[in-house]
Amino acid sequence: MSRRFTALVVVAVLLAAPLLLGNAFLQRVAALVMLAAISASAWNLIGGYAGQVSIGHAVFFGAGAYSALLVYKLTDWPPIAGAPVGVAVSLLLACVIGLPTFRLRGHYFSMATIAVAELIRIVVSNWQFVGAAVGLMGPAVPRSLADLSFLSPLPYFYLFAAVLAVLLFLTWQMQRSRMGFYLGAIRAGERAALSLGVPVLRYKLLALLLSAGFTALAGSLYAVMVGFVDAESALGILISVQMVIIAALGGAGTLFGPLLGAAILIPLQETTNALFGGGGTGLTYIVYGAIILLIARFRPGGLLELLHWRRRRVA
Amino acid sequence: MILLQVVVGGLLLGAVYALFSSGLTLIWGMMNVVNFAHGDFVMLAMYVAFLGYTVLGLGPAWFIPLAAAVMFLFGLLVYFALIRHVSRGPMLAQILSTFGLALLLRYSAFWVFSANFVTLPDTLVGGNFAIGGLRLQASRLVAGATALLLTIGLDLLLTRTALGSRLLAVAEDRAAAQLVGIRPDRMQALAWGIGAASTGIAGGLIALFFYISPTVGESLALIAFVTVCLGGFGSVPGALLAGLAIGVIESLSAYLIGPVYQDVVVYALFVLVLWVRPQGLLGRA
Amino acid sequence: MSPEPLLEATGIGKAFGAFRAVDDAGLAVREGEIVGLIGPNGAGKSTFFNCLAGDAQPTAGRIVFAGKDVTRAPADAHARAGIARSFQVPVTFEDMTVLENVMVGAFLRQSHRNDARARAREMLEATGLTRLADTRAGSLGTPGRKRLEIARALATEPRLLLLDEALAGLTPTEVQEAIGLVRSIHARGITLIIVEHIMEVILSLAERAVVFNQGRVIAEGPPRAVVDDPAVIEAYLGRSMRRRTAPP
Repeated sequence: MSRRFTALVVVAVLLAAPLLLGNAFLQRVAALVMLAAISASAWNLIGGYAGQVSIGHAVFFGAGAYSALLVYKLTDWPPIAGAPVGVAVSLLLACVIGLPTFRLRGHYFSMATIAVAELIRIVVSNWQFVGAAVGLMGPAVPRSLADLSFLSPLPYFYLFAAVLAVLLFLTWQMQRSRMGFYLGAIRAGERAALSLGVPVLRYKLLALLLSAGFTALAGSLYAVMVGFVDAESALGILISVQMVIIAALGGAGTLFGPLLGAAILIPLQETTNALFGGGGTGLTYIVYGAIILLIARFRPGGLLELLHWRRRRVA
Repeated sequence: MILLQVVVGGLLLGAVYALFSSGLTLIWGMMNVVNFAHGDFVMLAMYVAFLGYTVLGLGPAWFIPLAAAVMFLFGLLVYFALIRHVSRGPMLAQILSTFGLALLLRYSAFWVFSANFVTLPDTLVGGNFAIGGLRLQASRLVAGATALLLTIGLDLLLTRTALGSRLLAVAEDRAAAQLVGIRPDRMQALAWGIGAASTGIAGGLIALFFYISPTVGESLALIAFVTVCLGGFGSVPGALLAGLAIGVIESLSAYLIGPVYQDVVVYALFVLVLWVRPQGLLGRA
Repeated sequence: MSPEPLLEATGIGKAFGAFRAVDDAGLAVREGEIVGLIGPNGAGKSTFFNCLAGDAQPTAGRIVFAGKDVTRAPADAHARAGIARSFQVPVTFEDMTVLENVMVGAFLRQSHRNDARARAREMLEATGLTRLADTRAGSLGTPGRKRLEIARALATEPRLLLLDEALAGLTPTEVQEAIGLVRSIHARGITLIIVEHIMEVILSLAERAVVFNQGRVIAEGPPRAVVDDPAVIEAYLGRSMRRRTAPP
């Protein structure tokens, strides 16, 4: 049996499993794994492929989440209609963050991401219009299919899996194209990349725009599924940290790294939450911090490097 | 009159910002690594000071140097165990290493001390002063003055002593410094130690008049980043001026707009600086 | 060969604060020439070189390449205009293969992956790296990395190639191979400016040598003549002689 066929069978089984197993908890976990994989794969575009480390990506996620429920609040339309607004806001924020900092050393960009994320979080937490400390809610009762308000987690799983598939396909195409090579060069040696005619600023910005846009979409999907958003759950540092750790654990700069990371961390997180309750958040961060530290120190390539898979299949 | 009071208060706090930010800029200038855990180093120092007082019964004259010494050693530990290995590797590893450390420190403190904040008694460093119509807390005055002197002292150390020239040589050109017999590894470790010690002293000073909680590191880190960027990469005098400026701006914002938004103003200023003058007030581009 | 110089740099100055690394230096290179830049360490030739490559912006003067003013242009604009360069310490894209490294260069002129790959393979062929095409670039030793550096630069289809001490650190045999490689590049019609310390290389390759000292051009002409120029000898040896006899 060829490798490709085996891989397809495995994927089919994994996709069918939530449907067949019928356990609501498992289905919810599966849906959350897909959602986390979307965010982390989006982060991967700028943090992994381009090597520009964002530790404030929650700002894009929050833009998508808030836009969805805000549009619903103001116009009564299905929340998903707010997704384009979220994407637009994210693209704008991406320009504000990236344009000045991509010309400078990498640290400036990273610092700017946390500063802007924190800035937005504080403003949103205190702004009545977007719900301040209380947050925003989605439709209490689904009015139509477009509200994407399902009782079972299963439709969310398939919806998110489809979005992930699109994102991964686009990433795969990008990786094999000129952009992929140029981002790899920027990550590996910016000065040399410039000397070879790579328009570094343009490509960094392009990667960030794509990343921000997809992260915003993930945020909107999250808002649609959970039906509620507030500053802590959509703009807090945990969101940023989660994206980074999932991508880095699986393998930043690889196609399937983020998905692998999500498949490992999300079930763990959900299980510990279920067993020990929400009080585990302090411990969660300690573990996350330790994992990030260990990855950075010993295995920056993540698990996929450890498993000896060929990184970034090209040419 | 109140405005003057606000500005003076801002200058005093700004001096403390300048102190720990100059530690950060020293580290950044030396080896092109940004310590994303710098704010949490200050937090750690604050707890060391607090424990020095509550557990060991030490006064400020003792627990501040204690915090400095503990943080100095901690800085060396972090350098040898972590930084040395990641500083010449990919940017992802560099940034994630100190970011991971920040989370680890912050939430370990959270776990041990819980979310409640603690404070040192106001009586530790005398009550209030009245100078020419201004009412100043002695603790803030002492903190500001000490921080200012030490920051200037750090600059003098770097520019006027043999040790300082060795440090700067490594910052300038590591390979060349090695050729003239300087050990870059030792100098970089020392820079980390000094940078960490600056957070130690700053933390001890802040503990005299501010609340101590596990999450202060987050905003202090951002203040340090704004300060070093505004002051200019690698410049201690720049960090001094910028620290004072940020202190005043923060203080004025809290007074004019409200304490909730004081951080927002500082972060927005950061973005503005990046757009308009990224090399900072005194830094090289 | 057109009578107009391909590259003309006039009155180039580069100051770092009060220190003038390069002061009123100029150079005109005709298409098809091989020009050598020599001079003692700290003479300013590397800074001048970086100005030509767009890595540094001159604080005075003008650089015109093929009729275009590139004085203020950044390094990537220089590459697009047709100026390629190699780095003294090769900046290899470690985790990419040798072929992928060169493809980065090829993508400047070829937008599609297959065309870039084909072009890259040609350059590997030209630099003798075909055998190593699919090996991880990080595993190469210094001579391989230097070759890769050149192959990658060539893939951008330059009219002018700037080589920064490309032959330093090579064994005598490797130096001979490298000289052969440079000649074959020249035979393709590429103009070359090479910075080199190894006199033998300059003597055997360069048609014209330009000598830098203390930021200025102090001599220019055929290598053999320049080497015998008293001003040049003093620049290399004179200062150290003077230093040895000066009071402590």
